[in-house]
Amino acid sequence: MDLKLFLVSFAAVFLSELGDKSQLAAIALGGSSPSPKAVFFGTASALILASFISVVLGGSSSFFLPEKIVKGIAAIGFGLLGLRLLWPESSENI
Amino acid sequence: MPSSDSTPSDTPSVISEEVIVAGETPRKRTSETSDKSADLSSNSASVVGSGFWPVFISTFATIFLAELGDKTQVTTMLMSAESQAPLVVFLGAGLALISTSLIGVLLGQWLSTRVSEETLDTCAGILLILITIGLVGDIMSS
Repeated sequence: MDLKLFLVSFAAVFLSELGDKSQLAAIALGGSSPSPKAVFFGTASALILASFISVVLGGSSSFFLPEKIVKGIAAIGFGLLGLRLLWPESSENI
Repeated sequence: MPSSDSTPSDTPSVISEEVIVAGETPRKRTSETSDKSADLSSNSASVVGSGFWPVFISTFATIFLAELGDKTQVTTMLMSAESQAPLVVFLGAGLALISTSLIGVLLGQWLSTRVSEETLDTCAGILLILITIGLVGDIMSS
């Protein structure tokens, strides 16, 4: 195995993900969730699947997934998770 | 005549360790309340459930969708296309992503032993809203 390529891709991805939104989400959800183990496995598997898709496609994921809609759904998801943490009582009454 | 044999190492640091070890069920109120809301309606009210699978699925779905087409994925794509060794790039990227998520969750856990539950929930909520705003900004500018 090409160790140099392995280390370069590790370093590139590690540095670009450090402090990125998914790590911030992992901090927020990991600290406030009743099941931090689930947050870790959920975050790690989502990131790995996303990068697996990138590697397999090698360049063009936008032709079958409209990026704006995908990010829009993600934004709604994060918004709901955040609102539920800020106002847990009101979300139970809905 | 030094008769005091008691070592000064008996500091109350054991308490914080117990909190970390008992990280499985740190929030009793969440499990009780969200079970009720899950019975009433299985939609947005139970986005963050109490068990493993609701938390896993909601975390997985949001992060997966947010990361698709993100700059990390673009980096991975370019490297795997250039290098002709996609498996090595995938292994390196995968290990890096596991490391950053582990650091994130552990940092959150550490913060939850330092900061009060209410403060942490508020900060986490604000952080998630900021991520939401960032994603909306991405959509607008692209």
